[in-house]
Amino acid sequence: MTIAATLPASPDQPRTLPGDLAIWFFIFAELLVFGVFFLAYAFARARNVELFDASQLQLDRISGAINTALLISSSYFVVRAVDRIRHGASRACAGWLVAAMALGGAFLVLKLTEFAGKFAAGITMSTNTFFMFYIGLGFFHFMHVVLGMIILGWVAHKAWRGGYSAADHAGVETGASYWHMVDLVWIVLFPLIYVMH
Amino acid sequence: MKYQSQAVAKPYFIAAIGLFLGQILFGLIMGLQYVVGDYLFPAIPFNVARMVHTNLLIVWLLFGFMGAAYYLIPEESERELYSPKLALAMFWIFLVAGAATILGYLLVPYATLAEMTGNDILATMGREFLEQPLPTKVGIVIVALAMLFNLSMTVLKGRKTAINLVMLLGLWGLAIFFLFSFYNPANLVKDKFYWWWVVHLWVEGVWELIMGAMLAFVLIKVTGVDREVIEKWLYIIIAMALISGLIGTGHHYYWIGTPEYWQWWGSVFSAMEPIPFFMMTLFAFNMVNRRRREHPNQAAVLWALGTGVMAFLGAGVWGFLHTLAPVNFYTHGSQITAAHGHMAFYGAYAMVVLTMISYTMPILRGREANSRKAQVMEMWAFWLMTIAMVFITLFLTAAGILQIWLQRIAAEPMGFMAAQDQVALFYWMREITGLVFFTGLTLYIVSFFVKGEEARAS
Amino acid sequence: MSSAFTKSAARNIFYGGAVFFFLLLVGLSFDTMQTLPKRDNRENLNESAIRGKHIWETRNCIGCHTLLGEGAYFAPELGNVYTRRGPDFIKAWIQSQPTGVPGRRQMPNFNLTDAQLDDLVEFFKYTAGIDTAKWPPNIEG
Repeated sequence: MTIAATLPASPDQPRTLPGDLAIWFFIFAELLVFGVFFLAYAFARARNVELFDASQLQLDRISGAINTALLISSSYFVVRAVDRIRHGASRACAGWLVAAMALGGAFLVLKLTEFAGKFAAGITMSTNTFFMFYIGLGFFHFMHVVLGMIILGWVAHKAWRGGYSAADHAGVETGASYWHMVDLVWIVLFPLIYVMH
Repeated sequence: MKYQSQAVAKPYFIAAIGLFLGQILFGLIMGLQYVVGDYLFPAIPFNVARMVHTNLLIVWLLFGFMGAAYYLIPEESERELYSPKLALAMFWIFLVAGAATILGYLLVPYATLAEMTGNDILATMGREFLEQPLPTKVGIVIVALAMLFNLSMTVLKGRKTAINLVMLLGLWGLAIFFLFSFYNPANLVKDKFYWWWVVHLWVEGVWELIMGAMLAFVLIKVTGVDREVIEKWLYIIIAMALISGLIGTGHHYYWIGTPEYWQWWGSVFSAMEPIPFFMMTLFAFNMVNRRRREHPNQAAVLWALGTGVMAFLGAGVWGFLHTLAPVNFYTHGSQITAAHGHMAFYGAYAMVVLTMISYTMPILRGREANSRKAQVMEMWAFWLMTIAMVFITLFLTAAGILQIWLQRIAAEPMGFMAAQDQVALFYWMREITGLVFFTGLTLYIVSFFVKGEEARAS
Repeated sequence: MSSAFTKSAARNIFYGGAVFFFLLLVGLSFDTMQTLPKRDNRENLNESAIRGKHIWETRNCIGCHTLLGEGAYFAPELGNVYTRRGPDFIKAWIQSQPTGVPGRRQMPNFNLTDAQLDDLVEFFKYTAGIDTAKWPPNIEG
């Protein structure tokens, strides 16, 4: 899994999930929902290829690609933050997290611009099945980015005030795991909805 | 019993059992009307019997939840109830209001009842499960608010545990979402849309919190497993319940005039709704396997495990069977819905209340557990009712499949009544199984009067 | 502290998840309300149909029938009854109840006036025009 690869577990406990197990239940549920939605997309598209291909042309791929770059970079920043806290550098950890949040914020702005364009053109979830997925899943993911930023903000705040240490930083790993999940979902969503046809 | 004020739970539980009996009697009447159409007509037309059947169910479950709350919240908060007198007053108000409502259904034509009770001022009546006259609805709100005030004050001043917080949150949610029952727009689609905010967000939302809290409470008591372990699983299970169940509301929005994207959202999320129920089953069995003591009340343990299994079967499996939009297109509004409704309500909510009653009633009556003899009888009642409910569900499912085939799929679709005649055999079998259920319930009630030597921990 | 499983994290997941998905439900409901005018046949929801809905409710019709598939399953679906039977049949049928045929299911007579019958029919005409995504599968409901 991407998540496990970006966050190697500490050497003394080589085969465990980073962060709190509770977040992994949440991540599991979320990935299940997105996974089923992606399958549903593939299924719906197979039944109506022309409509999906024609509708897809109306999307702004450049904006989507920039957003992909933003989220991947933000995930890297989060990896840096976890690395810092493992060395006990609380302030640096908080700094990287804030940087990741800034990229998340940029993602939201771009995404909103995209949506605003679609709404202005009178496109809604009820326009057709393709746009149901584009707007529905896009908005659903959008909310995840917001939630992820709230979690990162909370963790950054606690880190800044010295709430974590090299020995005890499960909270940072928990937040990081969630953010990587949000990133991972986008990495599948972008090619699936914007590019593949 | 650790606190004197917990005793107010007792009248609530007694009322719950009494109303449960009434519910089943009217269920038997309806079951017979399915095959002997003019039975008791015009004295008790089907619609009246059904209203009594479903309203009694809701009211006795509410009595059960309230009794459970009055019992477990003082114990969890480690202090006496804020006001036992208020709790007792609310009991009588609720009982009288409930009885008056049922009598109103039975004795007065519904249209007259509506006129008498101010339905022309604010029309809320005549919608499934929300048939109560306006004063009853207002009464429910008052009773619920008084209870919430009483319980919240108790928790605020006492120890806060996951169990009493979740219970309280569930009850607050119950009261808040009930407020949507006062919203009845003329636009049928909107009416139905927000009607589900009461019905669905109750049974597949906040009621699951109440159920989880009650089950966790009993499991801590009868297994002696560490509270930390039980409470964190409680949180995870109810988190899953709301994650899947809130958007799962969409499975009611396929064919009532709402946008068609609900077919995707409803299907995806409600396909996940069995997960929390499955976790609850694993949870109950795991905790009992890891028990640190042998509780003398084995009947309560049986009810707790039974709740896990039957809630999963009724709500989880039978719900999943018809929740995906392409399947629901054919099953919507058929006997399949009735099959699911019966096992889900029994397995999840009736059984969890009976679990709570089974655990608390002996204590409320001054002993840790009932005599072996009484427990054996209670366990017989458990098996009779539970197995009967499984068969009721199977027969209704069979009836539903046949009905759908004849009426909705066959090349020459049959009319509704013609199809009903074809499935009459299954209705007869359901009615006979209903009598078995009734026998189980009778045995259950009798078990409260069986004497004998108190059971001790082995 | 890797792979811990703490109650506080579980609690946060619960509260966070509940708020998150409730907001999503509110969002989808908001969109639904925006989309409804195209589907819910509100242009035909006239005064008469509104009175008809009131009659539908105060006679507890839902206690036996389904309406758009919701209700009791004892008697036929009525969301599309206007299309299936037409106005005259509906009125005559209601007036002729109960049939009194021994052993058959009975519908009470509600002693509705002609004006009330017209309102009820108008309500059924309105419900039959709601866009229900092609449900029921056929005219039999």
